[in-house]
Amino acid sequence: MPRSAEMTTGAAAHTGTQAGQDGYYTYVEGVGHIPRDIYKHVKSNPLGDLPRYSPHIVIQHLILFITFLLLAATGLPIFFSDLFWAPYVISFFGGIDLARRIHRVSAIAMMLGAAYHVATILGGTLWKVLRHEFDYKRTQIPRMKDLQDFIHDLKYFMGLEPHRPKMEKFMYKQKLHYLAVLYGSFVLMAAGSVLLFPDVVARLLPGTIGKILPPGAIGGDSYSAFVQDLVRLMHADEAVMALIVLAFWHWVNVHFVPGRFPMQWSFLTGRITREHQIEEHFLEYLNNLKDIPEEREYMKRLLKEKGLDPMAPPDPKPVQLSELSRIH
Amino acid sequence: MPERPHQAKHLQQQACRLLLHILLPVAVLCLPLVHFSRAEAADAKNCLMCHKHRYMGRIDENGKRWNYNVDELHYSHSVHRAVGCDDCHPYITKIPHDPVTQKVDCATQCHIKPPFSQDKFSHEKIVGIFTGSAHGIHPEDSRLAREAKPYCKFCHENPPYSRIPEENISYEETLRRCLNCHPQSGVVQAYRHITHRLRKKTSRSSQEIVQLCAKCHQDVPAMEKLKVSAKALEAVATYNQSIHGKLVRLGSQKAADCISCHASNALHDIYKKDSPKATINRANIQKTCRQCHTKTNNWFIEIAVHPSLEHKDNPIIHVMSIMLQMAIYGTVISMVGLMLFETFGRRRAGVRLLLVNGTSWRPKVTRKRKKDR
Repeated sequence: MPRSAEMTTGAAAHTGTQAGQDGYYTYVEGVGHIPRDIYKHVKSNPLGDLPRYSPHIVIQHLILFITFLLLAATGLPIFFSDLFWAPYVISFFGGIDLARRIHRVSAIAMMLGAAYHVATILGGTLWKVLRHEFDYKRTQIPRMKDLQDFIHDLKYFMGLEPHRPKMEKFMYKQKLHYLAVLYGSFVLMAAGSVLLFPDVVARLLPGTIGKILPPGAIGGDSYSAFVQDLVRLMHADEAVMALIVLAFWHWVNVHFVPGRFPMQWSFLTGRITREHQIEEHFLEYLNNLKDIPEEREYMKRLLKEKGLDPMAPPDPKPVQLSELSRIH
Repeated sequence: MPERPHQAKHLQQQACRLLLHILLPVAVLCLPLVHFSRAEAADAKNCLMCHKHRYMGRIDENGKRWNYNVDELHYSHSVHRAVGCDDCHPYITKIPHDPVTQKVDCATQCHIKPPFSQDKFSHEKIVGIFTGSAHGIHPEDSRLAREAKPYCKFCHENPPYSRIPEENISYEETLRRCLNCHPQSGVVQAYRHITHRLRKKTSRSSQEIVQLCAKCHQDVPAMEKLKVSAKALEAVATYNQSIHGKLVRLGSQKAADCISCHASNALHDIYKKDSPKATINRANIQKTCRQCHTKTNNWFIEIAVHPSLEHKDNPIIHVMSIMLQMAIYGTVISMVGLMLFETFGRRRAGVRLLLVNGTSWRPKVTRKRKKDR
């Protein structure tokens, strides 16, 4: 362990947030030197200790959650209409005509939810920019660091790195998933609208566009036929992909992996457990320390109790009874 | 005189007794007769005298068995229950009759009179439309095609009434269908008549229509023998994977079935695409689509109603579909792989499955140690 080496260079910590050559200790003003694997020693409330999502985001996630499941439940039996279970699902929703109506109403609800999300993100960003609090590192915008973190993490999982990377509020995994949802919902909404209004789209995209393209570029058929064919493919494939990713990756990754099982409450409470925050979003935890005095106190006390901060100033000498008597 | 009221009362009682003891049982006994006598009413020539026997039939020269039994009960519940035997079989003039060589011609006039006209009823008009359509027999047809083509009875099996929920019945459309045969007069009576029929709708559901057409058109070897076009060969398969086909299969009564597009309200005027009369002819197709898609235009009609099965006719779509498939598998495998890898790494670092007592990074089981203590 290179811990002893770090301790000697620990003086550098006072200049910045990082200390040591590989950053095992992080110095925070008023708290002390926090070791990288402090998450193994903290106490967490499964319902969440630290703020992560605003109520807006929680509501938007619920809207997406409910509408997506409804859309998948009413859409998949249509796509797989020749499979044995399709009629049962359809009759559960009260027949095909009602199921289609539910699909459309859910789609509108999802679009409204998406508009609400965009409004929240734009408004929140504007608010932060005006107050000079905006930091693009805390957003979902992909950076070079995400790739480095990913490689670092892979090395850690293989046992080549001693600690996990220090990551921001959104790590590489979440950025990837968020961007996938952005892309997927855009494709699904656009393709679904084209499928719902084929006549309007055929009017909006006149055959002249097909004439501009070289003959045969779109397979010989007219432009509107090509768009419909493409959209039929995209809507279904994107939906199936989204559902598979949701079922086999998102749910498992969020609720079933060690430490999160049987459920992570973040999507309801908007709060994240302390150990999770420190393990996967260490840099965000430093922001938490800055913002929340109670958290600072907690961490300070923890470091002291467990003796995890080797560079902490020694406790003042306990006052002796004899000394007291001398004063009075 | 004072006895009169008493006498009258006595007579009244006697009449009541008579009614109760004699007439009522007789009436009850007669009920089944009323019920079963419908076929007999249409059977003025007493054909059922012979044809009521269940095993009446013969074996012809080719060894084929023929059953000539007419099931009274079944016939009395059919659409043709009021039509006499000789109305459709006018070539039978004496009893016992000679062997029948002629087939029933549905264009024959029968003695039924439509409610609002004095003419004898006949399916002549619709038979005329049918004979002109793609399913009618034409002089240029090969022997094979002649044999393969259906006649009235292939589709019209005289089925017992099947009930359909009333909200699923489109009254307007059916009224238009009725006008194929019935002259347009006496609208109120017609409405009563028609709504009465509609409550016991006899036509097929969309699903059944697709099944009926598929009976022949799905039979690829038979269709190949008839040398139909490549598109017509897989018409049923491509329809079934179109949105119309999928919705009809799942029970929609709104989505287009075969005859919604391939025939007009006359239902029997199905022509090949090239015929100017065809509803799917390029000149008429906008009108056909407009029945449902009100904003149809020149470009809308290009959209494939029978989308090709493997997208092989369009290279871009074909490549796209392969790429999307790869994207699905690639994404799922890599993401699940990453998750398993991550779990493996974190497990090795000491994480436990459950978050208990505020931490999931507690040391391994301590029971033995407790015993030692």
